[in-house]
Amino acid sequence: MPMLLSRVIASSQLGSVACGLLLSGLAFAQEEQSPLLQGEQLLLSGAYAAASDVFLRAQGVDREEGVVGASRAFAALGNLDEAQRICEQALARSSAADLPLIATQLAEILRGRGQSAMALALLQQVDAGLEQPPTRSIVEYGSLLQFVGRRDDARVQLQRALDRYTDGLVFSSEDTGMVARASWLLGDFHDANSLFTEATRLDPSNLEAQVLWGELFLEKYNAADAQRSFEDALAVNSRYLPALVGIARVTGNREALERALAINPSSVLALETQAQLLFINDAEEEALAAIDEALAINPESMKSLSLLGAKAALEEREQDFAELRARIDAFSPNNPQFLGDVADTLGKQYRFVEAVALAREAIASDPNYWQGYTLLGSNLIRLGEEEEGRANLEIGFDNDPFNVMTSNMLKVYDTLDSYLTLESEHFKVNMSEKDGQILWPYLEPLLEESWDTLTMKYGFEPEGPILIQVFENSQDFAVRSVGLPDIGPLVGICFGKVITLISPDTLSANWQEIAWHEFAHVVTLQMTGNKMPRWLSEGISVWEEREGRPYWGRSQGLDLVRAFEQEKLLSFEDLDKGFSGAQNSADLNFAYFQSYLVVDYIAREYGFEGLRELVLQYDDIKSDTERFREAFDVSLAEFDSGFLNWVERRVAEIGVYVHKEDAPDEGEGHGHGVRENSSAVLAELYNNASLKQHMGARIEANPKDFQAHLQLGIVLFKEEAFDEARLSLETAYQLLPEYTGYPSPPLVLAQIYEKLGDEPARLGQLRLLLENQQHDYASAMTLASHALDSGNLDEAAYYIDRALQVDPYRRDVHTLRAQLATLTGDTALAVKENEVIVTLEVDDPVVARTNLAEAYLNNGDAALAKRNVLSALEIAPSYVRAQQVLLRAAALAAAADGGGE
Amino acid sequence: MRVLGFFLLFAGVCAGISAVAQESPRELFVQSAASKKAALIITGPTIGSENSAKYRQLTLSLHDVLARDYGYSSEQLVLLYAGGTGIDSRVDGDADRAGIVQALAALEMSLQAGDQLAVFLLGHGTGVDDEAKFNIRGPDLNGAEFARLFDAFTRQDLVFVNTTSASYGFATALAREVAGEGRIVVSATRSSAEKFDPLFSRYLIEGLKERRADRDKNSRVSLLEAFNYAKNNVDAFYEEQGRLAAEHAGLDDNGDALFALAPAPDESDGRLAEIAFFDAAIADEASLSPERLTLKRRMQSLEREVLLLRGRKAEFLEDDYWMRLEVLLMDLARTTEDFDANASQ
Repeated sequence: MPMLLSRVIASSQLGSVACGLLLSGLAFAQEEQSPLLQGEQLLLSGAYAAASDVFLRAQGVDREEGVVGASRAFAALGNLDEAQRICEQALARSSAADLPLIATQLAEILRGRGQSAMALALLQQVDAGLEQPPTRSIVEYGSLLQFVGRRDDARVQLQRALDRYTDGLVFSSEDTGMVARASWLLGDFHDANSLFTEATRLDPSNLEAQVLWGELFLEKYNAADAQRSFEDALAVNSRYLPALVGIARVTGNREALERALAINPSSVLALETQAQLLFINDAEEEALAAIDEALAINPESMKSLSLLGAKAALEEREQDFAELRARIDAFSPNNPQFLGDVADTLGKQYRFVEAVALAREAIASDPNYWQGYTLLGSNLIRLGEEEEGRANLEIGFDNDPFNVMTSNMLKVYDTLDSYLTLESEHFKVNMSEKDGQILWPYLEPLLEESWDTLTMKYGFEPEGPILIQVFENSQDFAVRSVGLPDIGPLVGICFGKVITLISPDTLSANWQEIAWHEFAHVVTLQMTGNKMPRWLSEGISVWEEREGRPYWGRSQGLDLVRAFEQEKLLSFEDLDKGFSGAQNSADLNFAYFQSYLVVDYIAREYGFEGLRELVLQYDDIKSDTERFREAFDVSLAEFDSGFLNWVERRVAEIGVYVHKEDAPDEGEGHGHGVRENSSAVLAELYNNASLKQHMGARIEANPKDFQAHLQLGIVLFKEEAFDEARLSLETAYQLLPEYTGYPSPPLVLAQIYEKLGDEPARLGQLRLLLENQQHDYASAMTLASHALDSGNLDEAAYYIDRALQVDPYRRDVHTLRAQLATLTGDTALAVKENEVIVTLEVDDPVVARTNLAEAYLNNGDAALAKRNVLSALEIAPSYVRAQQVLLRAAALAAAADGGGE
Repeated sequence: MRVLGFFLLFAGVCAGISAVAQESPRELFVQSAASKKAALIITGPTIGSENSAKYRQLTLSLHDVLARDYGYSSEQLVLLYAGGTGIDSRVDGDADRAGIVQALAALEMSLQAGDQLAVFLLGHGTGVDDEAKFNIRGPDLNGAEFARLFDAFTRQDLVFVNTTSASYGFATALAREVAGEGRIVVSATRSSAEKFDPLFSRYLIEGLKERRADRDKNSRVSLLEAFNYAKNNVDAFYEEQGRLAAEHAGLDDNGDALFALAPAPDESDGRLAEIAFFDAAIADEASLSPERLTLKRRMQSLEREVLLLRGRKAEFLEDDYWMRLEVLLMDLARTTEDFDANASQ
């Protein structure tokens, strides 16, 4: 059972802190306090400028601490020069060993300014000059030794701090926090957690310990506890910059980061974090500017250099990458952090092969870099290297059991261990036994069809076998996909050689479209070595949906008109930001839709070959300007302009009016599920008379107002004014025949005809409905039943397949397919369907088993027939029909043996 | 104190199970043409037109299914409904304490020793633990108070099916307090925390209708079969909705007031429920010819052997078990064929 770092601090303790501060404040008002105490209170309240002044008034025995306090206050405001100067001034007339706290503070400032060698020299003086240096000096010294690659020496110093604690010689909260940091640096995460607990218990206003504790949680991917630590610190001092940055790192909260930078514009920590967030949001130029700023202050900023390293690696600038490594090696040799950070970024950008290589190098440079094993393992399994990936995750977990990502990913293996492994010519699939029995018979041919179709179309054969993992539990799916249990509305993810899917058993969407979509990613990602931008990859996968089946894909005509009229279409440069910056499901859905539109435009304007050429352009590292010039011989501006003109023409072709009061349709399943027309659904709840009047007025003003016609039709249907309703709904249908939302005009028209008892007209509307709506199980079943009853077996087969695409887990569709099999004499299919029915049956296992036995019998398999009918008779020995099947099975077996009974 | 040995299950398949306590050696849930069955449906008051319509429809469906599919005559079937006889012509009285007492007094007069009375409670319940009550018109009844109303039915087999919300506390007290042998109590919920109107009654009635719950295809529906049908469908409902189940039905038939969620003949609860059938009418064998009667006896004997073998499944190697079963079932199938072939006799 994996252990988790967890917090034990009670919130009431923080209450007592606040209360204590208040009491201190009152005391301060009533009697004269020492500058030191006064300065500490000001520092704790975030009044840094005042704190620096007050601290500097400290004299006598308080002088040393006063200088340290003032230096910290100056540093908190970003005034590093003054923070450094006052320490140096104090040390000008004394040795570092005489004033070890000031020397240590100066070392921290120097380290933060990229002068680790000088900082180290200073701490060496403290160490050499004192038998028992302050705990903080020891830990800072150990940390610096580790930073400069002297790991054995570092271990001695850090252990020394721990020994001091074990000997009962550490009393204060600050020193306990330092010992916690030493434990962390030594890789003793459990002890570090306990010591941070103790440090914050001793003094809940020890903000440094609170934030370090939060960072420990963050390193272990425990975002919830990390956030709580940062929030606890901010509850004491809302201007405490490391906590504000911590919040931004956990939540991506830009406000917190802006607040941090307003307090200290030259905080390297804040600038690095800003750069990281800007990179995530594709604001590359601003990110580089932030990095430049950070490196100007601290040329040894590991995070900034890692970000530059990741960018160089992504762009395959090998020389630049090597120079960065050399630069880091010069001050921090064999530091695995740089390689680990770059590997992490590469993995997040789907560059798994390169991430694996770097993670291996990181481990080689420091075999105790446990995060490296997690990075290596998680990237290997995204390449389908399950065995080696798991082995590395286990090494990571054995040595760092608090890493939530590692333990989560290993837990998924408990699920996978219980799954079946099924194989087809090009695919290897892990799925539950239930899915193996119910889904696999339909998934296998679909996958092979997608392989044949798309590999031929793109002229590219991906490296296989493609590993597909189908999870019944959405948390397993999320953890297996991204390492953490919350992944939002995604239903399938492709990593190039590996696809993860949510089992259709937990979806109400067309699972076949999803599988096809994900396999299209396999082709395009592998064609470009996973280097294509997300917009193009998603755009092609959505576009290929419609190519796969005419009723798949997304017809979002209303959304297109709305976005065009409201000028919400993204420019080409911002297409990826549509994904990374999406604030909600609707934003994300639109990003998919617009990406599809761009791909559709390319295919229509430049042909499929043009589209394929653009994909191939992404196999090389070059600018988009070059790619578009080479693929289409246009500039990006020309392309953008051509696209917008094309959209304008499409909007004109669609020719419907979109009223601003109508909300866009909403759907789940990441654009794969039903999209609900909330206005039309709510039409049933409104006051009919006023809604009718309102919609009538809208139609009068704009006769092409699709929504108004639809809603009016629904209201009239409710009033049973069927003739009028029909007129409105037919007008709506004529305006936008490809409308795929729910409810749609054909759906309501079908209901009208049902009320009128006009079965042919009803069925006609359901057929129209299914031309564009792919998620409607009930309509497909109605049409399939009718076709079976009327002997139209081809039509029955078609609509049964449509129902199976939505929900293969319902008995009734398999019952229909078994009937169809019987009618067509397909005894093997009858067996297959009855096998599924036996799995799904809850009420009548006896009849299900008997039917299966009979299907086996008809298929000439007496042994399996007998086995199944015996199972039925075991429950129901007197069931006559089963008895007859048993006698027939026995006779068939005897005949096969050449004898008679 | 009741002691039910495994050997009694064998005897009980067709004839009922004996309560082996020295003071009460009667057979329980005897299925014979001589024994009589009755049912009492009590539907308490409901709030809101939608709820009222729902419970009215459930109640009348249950009434009609028992009458139509299980042969309950109007004398054997008593319906008490909050509001009384004005609600529907099928209603026999009001669902208040007086109405219940009066109905039970009449049933006491008509039922003999060894007869079976099934009591269905529909509507709402409130409260927790021993204070959980079945809502009726006037003062509500808790499980212990309700049990006292059946003190006169010590020689009859009793089946209680409480389908109400907050049924668990009520059913537990009822199971603990009701006097006599041969008592089966079904609760639609398994804990006091399950307070919403259960779906259990809907599926129980669906299972009884047209004998859909007849899992073993013997054309009769046992309480165990009906329970399992309802339970499985409730589970399937919640699974399909992707929701955590808000109800878990339980059954107690060994008198320990501990409700089994998966009762079965080889579990602590389920043995009596397997032989407690709803059918009021039992086929008369007197009209069979001697040849057919012999075949009928042979069929019954083979069925018993199958059930006996099934009960000892764990004692055999897999292949050996199926081989033995096949021999018995082939014999049974041929005997049934002969029996049907002689139908004209």
